[in-house]
Amino acid sequence: MTPSEQPEQPQARALPAWSSQFSPDRLQEIAALGPIGEIDRQWAWGGSHGEGVRVAVIDSGIEHDHPAIEGCARGGTVVEVEDQASGKVRYLDDNPPADIFGHGTACAAIIHAIAPAAELYSVRVIGRDLTGKALQFAGGIRWAIDQGMSIANMSLSTSRSEYYGLFHELADEAYFHNVMLVSAVNNIPAPSYPSLYSSVVSVAAHDGHDPFTYYYNPSPPVEFGALGIDVEVAWLNKSTSVSTGNSFAAPHIAGIIALIRAKHPELTPFQVKTVLLACAANTRPADGSPAT
Amino acid sequence: MSETVPDNERLAAEFRQLLTSIEAAGVALLPASNLELLQTVVEAAAQIFGAAAASICLLDDADQSLEFKVAFGAGRDEVLGMRIPLDRGIAGYVASTGQPIAISNVSQDVRFNQEFAQSTGYVPASILATPLMISDRVIGVMEVLDKIDAVSFGMQDMELLGVFARQAALAIEQAQQMNGLAQVLVNGIDQLLNGGAEGPTLLSEIADEALDHGQAEYQQAMALAGLLFEIGQAGEAEWRLCIDVLTGLRDYLRSRPRFGR
Repeated sequence: MTPSEQPEQPQARALPAWSSQFSPDRLQEIAALGPIGEIDRQWAWGGSHGEGVRVAVIDSGIEHDHPAIEGCARGGTVVEVEDQASGKVRYLDDNPPADIFGHGTACAAIIHAIAPAAELYSVRVIGRDLTGKALQFAGGIRWAIDQGMSIANMSLSTSRSEYYGLFHELADEAYFHNVMLVSAVNNIPAPSYPSLYSSVVSVAAHDGHDPFTYYYNPSPPVEFGALGIDVEVAWLNKSTSVSTGNSFAAPHIAGIIALIRAKHPELTPFQVKTVLLACAANTRPADGSPAT
Repeated sequence: MSETVPDNERLAAEFRQLLTSIEAAGVALLPASNLELLQTVVEAAAQIFGAAAASICLLDDADQSLEFKVAFGAGRDEVLGMRIPLDRGIAGYVASTGQPIAISNVSQDVRFNQEFAQSTGYVPASILATPLMISDRVIGVMEVLDKIDAVSFGMQDMELLGVFARQAALAIEQAQQMNGLAQVLVNGIDQLLNGGAEGPTLLSEIADEALDHGQAEYQQAMALAGLLFEIGQAGEAEWRLCIDVLTGLRDYLRSRPRFGR
């Protein structure tokens, strides 16, 4: 797959609350000022395939031998709650990694299709027990930070206010350790953590069809809109399916970030966000020509 | 304490009376009538979406599984009462993550949940599933299956199903509040039994009064149940704090010398 230079406009259709800001009638044009306006897709990720970038997929696991993964799942862990009261978790090896639902494989395959040279790591944080699931999820982010991942893709979130502080602390720690957290916002328009923190790259689905077309929203908390509707994705047991949800939009942005970080490893998370803004389909370049 | 009737026997008799009375007043029947309401929600959803089937499964906290409580359309009889573990299928994923999902066109040889599909004899081509939430907690999953006039469910469908799911969750929340009320009454009676010689008399009076909706005791119990429910919804830490405060208050009251008793 190659980067598309001709991003398409989404069709005019009613979209859910978080996605509605990416519909054509509400999409706002962004002005990229000064040198930022000179950043284009060719500079940002032209020629990159995500070489050497380590991406954690915090989800239901990755089916390591799925044809769409092409053997790029390099390792994995299963996060379990050891002690509910203290919040202690344990990490079990998952090598080669497996998937219990198919969703994590779908996300991993989307990232792989965009950044085929990136290394994928499976972080399974959901299982047969809902008790302590927020702690498992937090443990997954902790693992990504401790293992020095470059990017963590998360299709999960929690809306439980008692975990606001815990996830905020983790998001800050990830940011200061140069780990980019890419999070799907919940399809239900309600507070969800950590997707709504400023250091996190939050993503909702737009109604387009091109994997490289994404938009920046100047009225956050949801900052980016990417492909997430009727996406053909990998699924359990080497199968495929057609799926819809914000959780399929996030890995598109995670894949693009993998391309950027492979080509420009010196960029910090906020610089990468700036590059993403500069290359968004609704950003007007510095030369005054209209946004793509 | 009564001098003629053994304590345990009296206790059992009083509880029987209380429970019979509550049931007669319809309080204990509410969950059943709520199932009917959920059934209506499911049927309405199936018709509005033009779906071949729809269902609601609820989370059983005890064994961490999802049980199909109401269903409509294809596969209904097979699916009702069926339990699936949380690590299986689309419903398991939605309950685990709280994320709605639409999925279709799964390749022929692999199904959404093969064991489940085989046992129901019904294999859907497209599924839209959304969580049922009370406050910020997942309590179940609502699904619509096989959109008749389209190959898949879209984002608008996802949003619309969310509206149905909120209605269903509201009905369940109300049922839980009423169950909570009944529990508060039982607990109150239990406290009274430990309270002294007037216990048995007061027990009967409270049981009667509790069922008269105009009585202050009933309204107080209702207010207390509502209060406890709201605090319980605020989160585990808040709930523990509430229990600690109430326990502390009780211990303090117990420790006070009781003049004239």
